Amino acid sequence: MSLLEVHDVSRNFGGLVAVDHVSFQVEQGEIFGLIGPNGAGKTTLFNIMTGLTAPSRGQVLYAGVDIARLSPHRIAQRGIARTFQNIRLFGDLDVLTNVLIARHIHAQSGVFAGLLGLPRARHEERRARDKAMELLGLVGLTGQAEARAGSLPYGDQRRLEIARALALEPRLLLLDEPAAGMNPNEKQVLSDFVRQICAQLALTVILIEHHVPLVMGLCDRIAVLNFGELIALGDPAHVQNDAQVIEAYLGEEG
Amino acid sequence: MNATMLAQQILNGLAVGSVYALFALGYTLVFSILRVINFTQGAIFALGAYFTYLFTGSAFGFNGLLANAALPFGLPFPLAALLGGVLAGLVAIGVERIAFKPLRDKGADPLLTLVSSLGMAVVIVNVIQYLVGAEIYSFPASVMAGLPAALTFGPANNPIRIRTVQVIIFGVSMLFVVALTLMVNRTQLGKALRAVAEDATTASLLGINTDQLIQFTFFMSGLLGGIAGVLIGLSVSIAGPYFGISFGLKGLAVLVLGGLGSIPGAVVGGLAIGLAESLVPPDFVAYKEVIAFLFLFVFLLVRPQGLLGRPLTQKV
Amino acid sequence: MSNFLTTYGALIVSMVFAAMLALSLYLPLMAGQLSLASPGFYAIGGYVAAILSTTVFNTGESPYPLTFVVVEMLVAALASGVLAMVIGTLALRLRGIYLALATIAFVEILRVLALNLPITGGAIGIFGIPQPFETSLGYLWIAGPMLLASAWFVYRLERIRAGRALVAIREDELAADAMGINPTFHKVMAFTLGAILAGLVGVISAHFLNTWNARQGTFDASIAYLAFVLVGGSRTFLGPIVGGMALTALPEVLRAVAGTPGLPIELAQFLREGRMILYGILIVAVAVSFPQGLITPALLRRKRAVKP
Repeated sequence: MSLLEVHDVSRNFGGLVAVDHVSFQVEQGEIFGLIGPNGAGKTTLFNIMTGLTAPSRGQVLYAGVDIARLSPHRIAQRGIARTFQNIRLFGDLDVLTNVLIARHIHAQSGVFAGLLGLPRARHEERRARDKAMELLGLVGLTGQAEARAGSLPYGDQRRLEIARALALEPRLLLLDEPAAGMNPNEKQVLSDFVRQICAQLALTVILIEHHVPLVMGLCDRIAVLNFGELIALGDPAHVQNDAQVIEAYLGEEG
Repeated sequence: MNATMLAQQILNGLAVGSVYALFALGYTLVFSILRVINFTQGAIFALGAYFTYLFTGSAFGFNGLLANAALPFGLPFPLAALLGGVLAGLVAIGVERIAFKPLRDKGADPLLTLVSSLGMAVVIVNVIQYLVGAEIYSFPASVMAGLPAALTFGPANNPIRIRTVQVIIFGVSMLFVVALTLMVNRTQLGKALRAVAEDATTASLLGINTDQLIQFTFFMSGLLGGIAGVLIGLSVSIAGPYFGISFGLKGLAVLVLGGLGSIPGAVVGGLAIGLAESLVPPDFVAYKEVIAFLFLFVFLLVRPQGLLGRPLTQKV
Repeated sequence: MSNFLTTYGALIVSMVFAAMLALSLYLPLMAGQLSLASPGFYAIGGYVAAILSTTVFNTGESPYPLTFVVVEMLVAALASGVLAMVIGTLALRLRGIYLALATIAFVEILRVLALNLPITGGAIGIFGIPQPFETSLGYLWIAGPMLLASAWFVYRLERIRAGRALVAIREDELAADAMGINPTFHKVMAFTLGAILAGLVGVISAHFLNTWNARQGTFDASIAYLAFVLVGGSRTFLGPIVGGMALTALPEVLRAVAGTPGLPIELAQFLREGRMILYGILIVAVAVSFPQGLITPALLRRKRAVKP
């Protein structure tokens, strides 16, 4: 059974068709790329997968269960985490707290236990902080733990968003243009990083990305959207040579 | 309840409703441009009434700093009203400069702007109270000189009577509403307004001076609010500066009922609430005040975009 | 010293009440929810106390037994809590201004009901509410611990997982949702806690003021509480407490200043009666220049850093 199955999903906004009868499957352990020109519906598809938008029709099966109309926090609890195209950190809070907040679902003690400082609550709090620090170490932000998240340079903010998403301990990680604004060096580092965490944390990754070489070099399989429609699906070599893809996308960018 | 009474109540409701509509349009104008609720609308409403009262040459009572003050001259009522409205509009511009612009420049949360306008409303209303006290003022009877007290029509044995004042306020409100709608839909200025309402950044890139336009919008919303205040003052009385606050709150109900940002919505909402209030059965007349708030509450829960508004969506 | 206390006993108690009412607004605000509903729950609490103590618990004992006060508080807490959960679940799906409007409507509806229902005494209200304490200062025996308890509660809340969830929702509700936090649950929780606190303050206030009527739960009160939190500080539990106390004491201080000989009459009068104008000006000044209020987390961090 595939980890994620997008089944005939469409999304209309009034007269605008953002996603048009899209179907594909993502296998456990894959790094799956989602590319296409601007406005092709990629982020909308992410929003549907994470519950921020409901599809107009279709299903999204995650581990066999249709999650298409669940609320975002329920989906997060089931193990899907994401980053956002326009970074959505908790800007006024410090870096550590940003990651710590995403540990929310991994504690069980209730409000009362927390207020009274009961041993189990304090223990869980300590563990949460340790885990958060560990994740900061993973993305190289340990030194910035007390800095205000909004004051970080752009690249660091992107890394923080990934650390935050990882704090959920997801099975499926959705990255929305994680390399945006990075120079070629940083892109390579990111690419290696994604491969590393995919193996290390037994993740499945779906990646929206504009930079074609990054996608071709990193992803096991790629889906190409154009005007909401899926126009190609396959491994990088296959997609690169697909006539429709070249015409719609690669031809423009090169 | 017979047909005559019903007809009279409907007419009364429409008259009051038209003033609600006029007042709510002030909210709508600012909301459609800035996506914030201008809480001072109620205070400006009161100001319009008080200014006009001053311009008719009437004297203030013995409370407050300006006890017994009066202008040495008295203007004919329509002129006084217009002047009062214009002055209210100018105050609205002042409010925009003090409480709105600094926050807009900082890209502040709309809630903060709402709170800031709330503070201004409190200041204005209490300054009025401090200056002229909280007693009830009425426009001098000479205002209606030469006009019949009421108009009657319908069958001779059971005529429908409506106070001339109600006809006047309905007429004036509708006049302003129509003028505003024409302005927004048919003039270049209106087009610029709609552009800014749609997308302020693009509008300014297209050469529209958004800052000036915003000031103008505030002026108009203040003018409408002020005139509404005069009309209520004429039809009922000026019941102390705080009547601006309660009217302001009621106007919010109209705004939400009609749909935030929708001009026809404000008209429909205003008339609807006016009608609903006047059709309250006599036993429950004490609860008349609650009607507007019940509408507000229910609509917020069930249909926040109101009758004619567009649902506010969030871009992810 | 004792002279000062007796003269200003009532003021001190009012300051303590104000601090708690400010906290009741602060709680939903932690989650970014501007709720102006506190006066409504405050009124409900007061009416519970007023009605119970003048009817069911009217034993004529003097002073009024504290056990009855405790029972009143339990009833008020239950009433406020349940009502808040219902209203909250319905209204807190709304964002920002919509919620503020809904809470304004709620308070107005309650006010008109209170003005007209026979059980609340109509426009006149309820008189002769029995006193559990003989002096104003005596009320500190209850109000003081209440303030300490609520302050401690909010202080702790800010430091635990649930409090972080509230702050996350305030920062970015969508992102918080995507990180596994249930926004509606947390918003309703904060709203309900605030409502219960306001209700409890209402109970003890009704006894303190000896009478209770529809003027206790008004839009004006919402503005005052808002001023307390905005000016005092909207990002830390100390802010509302400081703001509530300072802004309640301020009119008294001004009134004392107004008594200084040689002051022009207009200024003296303004100082005496311009309380609301002052609140309004403060609200605008703070909103525009110090959106986080006077006591900010940054300020507290700096003070902590300076201490050796």
